[in-house]
Amino acid sequence: MNRPVPAVPLGADGAPLFELPVELAIDTDVARRVIAAFIRGQLRQAGFERAVLGLSGGIDSALVAYLVAEAIGAERLRCVLMPYRTSSPASRADAEVVVASLGCVSEVVEISSMVDGFFGSGDVPGAAGPEGLAASALRRGNFAARMRMAVLYDRSVTWGGLVVGTGNKTESLIGYTTLFGDSACAFNPIGDLYKSQVRQLAAVIGVPERIIRKAPSADLWPGQTDEGEAGFSYPHLDRLLFWRIDKRRSVEEVVAMGFDTALVARVDRMVAAAEFKRQVPPIAKLGPRTAGIDYLYPRRRPGSARS
Amino acid sequence: METRRIILAQLGPHLGALEENLARHVEVLGEARDTGADLVVFPELGLTGYQLQDLAGEVAMRLDDPRLARLVAATGDLSAVVSFVEESADHRLFIAAALLEDGEIRQVHRKLHLPTYGLFDERRFFASGDVLRAIPSRLGVGLGIAICEDFWHLSVAQMLALDGAQVLVNVSSSPGRDLAATNEGGLGTATSWRTLMRAYAQLTTSFVVFVNRVGVDESISFWGGSEVIGPAGDTVFSAPLYDEGVFICEVNLADVRRERIALPLLRDERLELQHRELGRIIAERAGLAPDSMVEEGAEGGLDVTGQPGRGAT
Repeated sequence: MNRPVPAVPLGADGAPLFELPVELAIDTDVARRVIAAFIRGQLRQAGFERAVLGLSGGIDSALVAYLVAEAIGAERLRCVLMPYRTSSPASRADAEVVVASLGCVSEVVEISSMVDGFFGSGDVPGAAGPEGLAASALRRGNFAARMRMAVLYDRSVTWGGLVVGTGNKTESLIGYTTLFGDSACAFNPIGDLYKSQVRQLAAVIGVPERIIRKAPSADLWPGQTDEGEAGFSYPHLDRLLFWRIDKRRSVEEVVAMGFDTALVARVDRMVAAAEFKRQVPPIAKLGPRTAGIDYLYPRRRPGSARS
Repeated sequence: METRRIILAQLGPHLGALEENLARHVEVLGEARDTGADLVVFPELGLTGYQLQDLAGEVAMRLDDPRLARLVAATGDLSAVVSFVEESADHRLFIAAALLEDGEIRQVHRKLHLPTYGLFDERRFFASGDVLRAIPSRLGVGLGIAICEDFWHLSVAQMLALDGAQVLVNVSSSPGRDLAATNEGGLGTATSWRTLMRAYAQLTTSFVVFVNRVGVDESISFWGGSEVIGPAGDTVFSAPLYDEGVFICEVNLADVRRERIALPLLRDERLELQHRELGRIIAERAGLAPDSMVEEGAEGGLDVTGQPGRGAT
């Protein structure tokens, strides 16, 4: 029995808030129930009652903040805002709106001195030496993501909460993540949701319209947008990934569906090239039992929970 | 009235926490006795949790395990189906579901079909059972016990009914997935299972009792949605998706008689035909008989043309 696809919510101006490919529409009630139970289960198994996450002002971390608050209550959530000196002030303002609307604990940790301490600033070299002054935006962006990770894991100790991941399925598949940076977490509630599905869930859970509407950005440099950089729209990319990966369609089949041959080849390459980011690093097999190969236990075993 | 009261224990066991899960089972059995239940059904691996991996050997119980004896004692004068990791005398590990009655283990069904594809990896950790039997029960009719994936193979429900079961019990740890909005209940897994159970109930003209767990093991969420389907494919009871709970429903066993006389599908099964044709297919696959579906030039046992001699390497 098939049910009709739900309508996309309208914004204040009467226009649809986002584009939702029909095959990607999820039952948001079920998703919220599953995710809430998942968050509670992860914390219970590890013996934690609190959670901490980095709030950027973008839709992914905003959605996760709402989901965590729904699962365990906003008072158990700590949001850390970690701007770099070139980060967009609008992003910070959007993050503050999320904090105010949830009523969760928050703090601001400026990471400029951490990043600049390594690469240097102005004419003054940092720990990386003179070469660091010429570091690319990508290097700086990756380093900043890893500094944010380091801050969150410190707060995991002081706040007594698990670090919640905020990466979505689309960016994970195409490799738009920083290894051991934004992808580092104790668990990830939205890692199996495409960007279009993140928007769908964000709209029903109450993420502010401004955050849902704005162009996704890694905010590595002013004016950067994912779609501008990559040259495709998220709904289109999400559909392609869904048919190629989830529905196992061949290149020929998705081209017959109307996807551009060159785009399909490029996205296939991106997905393959990012495989290493999605997996635990291989260990040289030497002993009788090796973690991940023939020593296979649940991440949280009975009796292992923090007490 | 041939009414029987069935309790669906839609629990969320904690992974690897055998003592804790056992205590919860004993508690539910106590409540069931108080409500005058006839049959209590617990989910697949309700005593251990599902995603055990190498924990399987650590939570395994032999049938003479005193912890199992505690459960048998708590069953009292009702029937209960409980599920756990069973270790045989030769140290094979099975996913087992036992029928407990009258202070003893009446039957142990060892899961026949171990899914090892997609998100499943059961064959790595468990041995598969080799026996499928219906069993007389205190309910006054035959019971047929199956575990989760067993029901994704057409022959299982049919054989249980042909062997004398009028109530087919399936205990499951079914992971929810495919959250497409167009699916019934928002979940592709639920849609598939509901279709299967109604088809089996109707085609075997039997009651189908499905008990699926809830809760989370690692990445996987279990969706509940336990159900009782009547012998005409009608929904007798549906438990909610995802909610933990102990649900009571009543069935009228006279419905089986009514349906089987009105719709004598089981009477009309052609067992000798199945037996004969299955024998032929087995012989053909083994290369012991000419393959009637083979491509021209192929070796016996292969449906497609192979290089001469390749089969010998």
